[in-house]
Amino acid sequence: MTSYSQPPEVVLAGRGIGKCYGEGPLASRALHPTDIEIRRGEVLVLMGPSGSGKTTLLSLLGLVLTPTEGEVLVGGWSAARASADELARLRQRRLGFVFQQFNLLPSLTAVENVAVPLLLGGVAWPEREARAARALELVGMGDRRQARPRQLSGGQQQRVAIARALVNDAPVLLCDEPTASLDGETGRGVLDTLGRLARAGRAVVVVTHDERVRAIADRLLQVVDGRVVPAEVPGVAHSANAAPPLAPTHRRMT
Amino acid sequence: MNGSIHPPPPTPGPGRLAGLALRMLLDTPMKSLGTLIGVVVSVFLMAQQASLLGGILGRVTSLVGKSGVDIWIASAATESTDATDTIPASKVGAAAGTPGVAWAAPVVQGFGKVTRPDGVRELVKVLGVEAPRYAGLPRTLAPGTSLASLRGSGRILLNLKDRPAFAMARPGDRVEVEGRATFVAGFYEGVDPHSPYYYVFANLDDARALTAFPPDRITYAAVGVAAGEDPRAVRARLQARFPDALVRTREELSAMEERYFLVRTPVGLVFGLGSVVAALVGAAIVAVTLYSTAIDRARDYGTLKAIGASRRDLLSLLLAQAWIFAAAGYAAGMAAFLVVRAHLPQLPMVVSPHLVAGVALAATLSCTLASLAAIRRVLKLDPAVVFRS
Repeated sequence: MTSYSQPPEVVLAGRGIGKCYGEGPLASRALHPTDIEIRRGEVLVLMGPSGSGKTTLLSLLGLVLTPTEGEVLVGGWSAARASADELARLRQRRLGFVFQQFNLLPSLTAVENVAVPLLLGGVAWPEREARAARALELVGMGDRRQARPRQLSGGQQQRVAIARALVNDAPVLLCDEPTASLDGETGRGVLDTLGRLARAGRAVVVVTHDERVRAIADRLLQVVDGRVVPAEVPGVAHSANAAPPLAPTHRRMT
Repeated sequence: MNGSIHPPPPTPGPGRLAGLALRMLLDTPMKSLGTLIGVVVSVFLMAQQASLLGGILGRVTSLVGKSGVDIWIASAATESTDATDTIPASKVGAAAGTPGVAWAAPVVQGFGKVTRPDGVRELVKVLGVEAPRYAGLPRTLAPGTSLASLRGSGRILLNLKDRPAFAMARPGDRVEVEGRATFVAGFYEGVDPHSPYYYVFANLDDARALTAFPPDRITYAAVGVAAGEDPRAVRARLQARFPDALVRTREELSAMEERYFLVRTPVGLVFGLGSVVAALVGAAIVAVTLYSTAIDRARDYGTLKAIGASRRDLLSLLLAQAWIFAAAGYAAGMAAFLVVRAHLPQLPMVVSPHLVAGVALAATLSCTLASLAAIRRVLKLDPAVVFRS
């Protein structure tokens, strides 16, 4: 696996990543080749109209889609040649996902849902439970650990999903429309939680239509017709909103 | 990817994911219950069909296998004990003089009609055995019956199981065979017919008389091998001596009987096919359920993939679900079969370690195969499905 020289605060990056579906005249371009960096401690918000390619970009950064161009760097290491199982391991250890529909397993309690990534990682139950309980405390759900998803409100379910994304101490949270299924007040609570996590050192990427998310954004990128362009964030200098190019060193692991 | 950066975690096997698999099944209780019932019915049918086949094959070979005869000499035209011809009675003396033979005795068999006390006339196979050895007689006689019981003219031994058909016959009772009076001398056990007729053992001359058997002919020459002799070697000597006859050891003739019934009668087809169909029905039910569940829960499996489940994890999860169905279905199906068997003692259902293990293996195999389509579906699932609202 190739590593790249990049600032240590960059925890996730895309180097010329693009996605095209189909081939030849039927090819459909979802995302033009893009350079992007996600840094420790920041909230990067991706906005844009439906179908603009922002969820494709999130899927590429989350290693659930394979780019047709470029490569994704996780902690400076290229995932370009990783096998399906290696990608799964990277997702499990380095990335946390928060989905619009929460995607909790309905048969499991909150603490069991949060512990699923640890189960997949081979962590034994007493430790799984302890770590999952800590993650629930972190998002203010410590008192609902035995509740099942159907017994929780949308906002509570989303906070359980955030706890699941945190439980492996993943440095990056990738959030797809985390407030879209929530009412105003509940959505603001979830955004507060994400903002706190970023201030605590995690990188948070949020794909959203929700204008309220601007309030917690450190950087804002617009995705329009598959192209990523910087947008202004109130109180943030434009130069800080741009991503510098990456310098490959082609160092290889032995 | 370098292992030192991301050392592989201990890989969860089906056992570790069994709890999650069970919880996912319980999440759709009615669908899971329906599937379980399908597996239970499948296991029950497999066990019932296979045990009946085993029981019938046991009956098919009981006459040959449970009489204490080491080697049987019969007509070369023999396909089974029901499809045979006669041989000269002189072969008995010649066989007795063959090296390695301890004794040889004649056995005759013929069919006739027996009249039950209620007047019903049924088919009977009369087997004639010769005093004093009575070679060919079942080795197990009922309590109160001995070889001496058969001594004397007009005496017969009935199967203890047939007593109810003969108005709970007792020694001394009169039974008509081919219109001739015979008397019940006692009962034997362990040798049962596979077809709807009775076995009745009689003295050699009585059997000849009852079935109009030619006096200079016999059906079998029953041979006992001398101590220390290899039955196969003695059989080879006898075969060389009687090239125009069929000479088989007890085991060989039993195997021949089984083959005949499996190939030449519908027995093997009906019960063998019944077991296979039962396994296929169970597999189909599990396959449909697991596959439809995989479709219904695409988002859950996609979520698991997105948050780090490897292909092996998903394989383990789905196999665990299949094996939960197999284990629970086997336990309940086998229990139901044993209860039914206990209540139907008249049916020849045999439970052997082979049957118990074989049905368990078949249930596991059919459920495993049934999970393949669901496994393929889930492994091919695009984890990006979780980003679609």
